[in-house]
Amino acid sequence: MSQSNKTTPRGNRFGFWFFKLFLRGGGLYAAYALLCPVSLHYWLFDRKAINAAISYLKRRFPTDSPLKIRCKVYKLIYSQGKQLIDRVAHTSGVIKFDFHFKGRDILDKIVSSEKGFILLTAHAGNWQLAMTELDMLKKKIFLVILEENNKAVKQAININSDQQNTFGIISPEGHLGGIVPVVRELNNGNAISYMGDRPYGFESVNIDFMNDKARFPYGAFAIAAATKVPIVTVLASKTGFKTYKVDFTNIIKPEYKSRKNKKTQLSEWVQDYADILNNFFEEYPYQCFLFHDVWEQNKS
Amino acid sequence: MSEKQTLDEIRTRLKEELIENLSLEDVTPEDITNDEIIFDENGLALDSLDAVEIVVFLQRIWGIEIKDMEQSREILVSIDTMANYILENA
Repeated sequence: MSQSNKTTPRGNRFGFWFFKLFLRGGGLYAAYALLCPVSLHYWLFDRKAINAAISYLKRRFPTDSPLKIRCKVYKLIYSQGKQLIDRVAHTSGVIKFDFHFKGRDILDKIVSSEKGFILLTAHAGNWQLAMTELDMLKKKIFLVILEENNKAVKQAININSDQQNTFGIISPEGHLGGIVPVVRELNNGNAISYMGDRPYGFESVNIDFMNDKARFPYGAFAIAAATKVPIVTVLASKTGFKTYKVDFTNIIKPEYKSRKNKKTQLSEWVQDYADILNNFFEEYPYQCFLFHDVWEQNKS
Repeated sequence: MSEKQTLDEIRTRLKEELIENLSLEDVTPEDITNDEIIFDENGLALDSLDAVEIVVFLQRIWGIEIKDMEQSREILVSIDTMANYILENA
């Protein structure tokens, strides 16, 4: 896997401790206020994040000037910071957020099936915060994540605390991309969570994303098609000061029409997913936290 | 699985299933050797997309459930390793 595919976690233990202090002392307003200079720091010095953000924003706002785009980078970094704070506030129990689940009935129907299902998340909105609420499904959820992201994700969704019975981890770096435990857990009726927007150096296909060619992974779709399980996309958007909407209404049911040209068929489903994400980013342009140039890797 | 199936019969059926399920074009069962490493560039050069199909059809056809990655490393190697496991466990 190339270095460029690795994620760069933002913030450190001291930083989070400091934000928690502000949260406890002054609530969300105080923490968000502290976030302003912190975001400024990243806006000025985090070259990698800035370039990735520009790459997204110039496609989201193609008519904007470079100066305007640069200003919007700050807005995007600040928006991500707010959602990080929300996550810390929620998982530490300092502040309770209200969640509106859209398509809960659809999800409940899928959950009641004997077979498992795939939860497809992306760096769109606050997917980790949405995950913390999914213990309501009464299903074990296995996150397929790289070893290097283990610690950050475990911390983000409080995986080591009272929800340890809800979540499990499967490494895609294991034999054959961890396929064996993934298939086993789907057969057991459990849920598997994949990130749908970053290939991390694994199999991916070219798709159209914001009027340009990008590369998205197809592993989740290949597994869903082979095991005949549905894919539930999870989109968690911040809709108010203490409110989030978690949308489960976009369901993809991959089924090969023919045994030939499987990659072409997979590309179509990946394209469907990219279109869903595109619509989400059109509605919430400052909740795209890809911070990774999915278009650039297509050119390399 | 019929009790009369021999190792040779399992090998042949496995090769046929591989070709059919993975849509291996221009490949016949005779082209696949029993000890060929299926995921190796010098073997059948299958990838993880194919691995999903293999795991699923092993279960569907022979009722073989591979429990963990340690077991998959031993079983999903060649026609021989898969056939031997089927013979002993199916």
